[in-house]
Amino acid sequence: MPDYLLEYQSVSESEEKMHDDVTGILAAHNIEGELRQAFILTVSEAFTNALTHGNNYDTDKLIKISIYINHNSLTADIIDEGKGGLKKVFEKSPPTLLSEHGRGVDLMRYYSSAVRFRKTSIGGLRVTVVFEMKKNEVT
Amino acid sequence: MEIVLREEGHVSVLSLTGRLDLASGTSLKEEIKKLFDRDCASIHLDLSNVDFINSSGLGALVSVMKEVRLRKGRLTLSNLANYVKEIFEITQLSHIFEIFETEQEAINSYQSVPTS
Repeated sequence: MPDYLLEYQSVSESEEKMHDDVTGILAAHNIEGELRQAFILTVSEAFTNALTHGNNYDTDKLIKISIYINHNSLTADIIDEGKGGLKKVFEKSPPTLLSEHGRGVDLMRYYSSAVRFRKTSIGGLRVTVVFEMKKNEVT
Repeated sequence: MEIVLREEGHVSVLSLTGRLDLASGTSLKEEIKKLFDRDCASIHLDLSNVDFINSSGLGALVSVMKEVRLRKGRLTLSNLANYVKEIFEITQLSHIFEIFETEQEAINSYQSVPTS
């Protein structure tokens, strides 16, 4: 069971709410500094991908975030209910310097300890980001 | 995100506060389109109060930069927080944006580099 389970409608306003919710959870566990910034960034990248490419702003579809916090790691699953998300992630051309899109996955890979992309049973995309933690980074 | 606009000579200075992400990136592009409609293409963005940026925010800045270039103007940035600066470096966007330490340095640079 996750420590936190968050659900959002696929609307633009959910982005800000998600950001505030995740920030609040990290603050409650005294997770600060670079780890906090990196975790929020990676979750934000997966969330934006779910909103725009996965659920394509379909208000009947939800974006779910599960957060697991223990002494060794901080993990989030970001799940959409769209179709073909996995294919979209892996068939994308790498961005050029002047691309307006396509940097999110690279940023997720750069900042997290591990990132996994899997297809859900209904064809959506499950993105898992893992951050290994040093001692005293969580309470 | 809060966007405050002021004019410094022929340079439009926008001070941004908050998060630069998907929604606020769209708002920023809309604000800057209003400047283009007034034939303003010398634009400086003060990012000192931007505490979060993601790839959608970066995409909005790239979009603005391309529009500015089409109009043969200039886009400058200043006061990037270390975290924001690091993201510019990771994505190599630091190579294509004109980034200054301070707003004043950026504004001064418009006096020595004319735009057409």
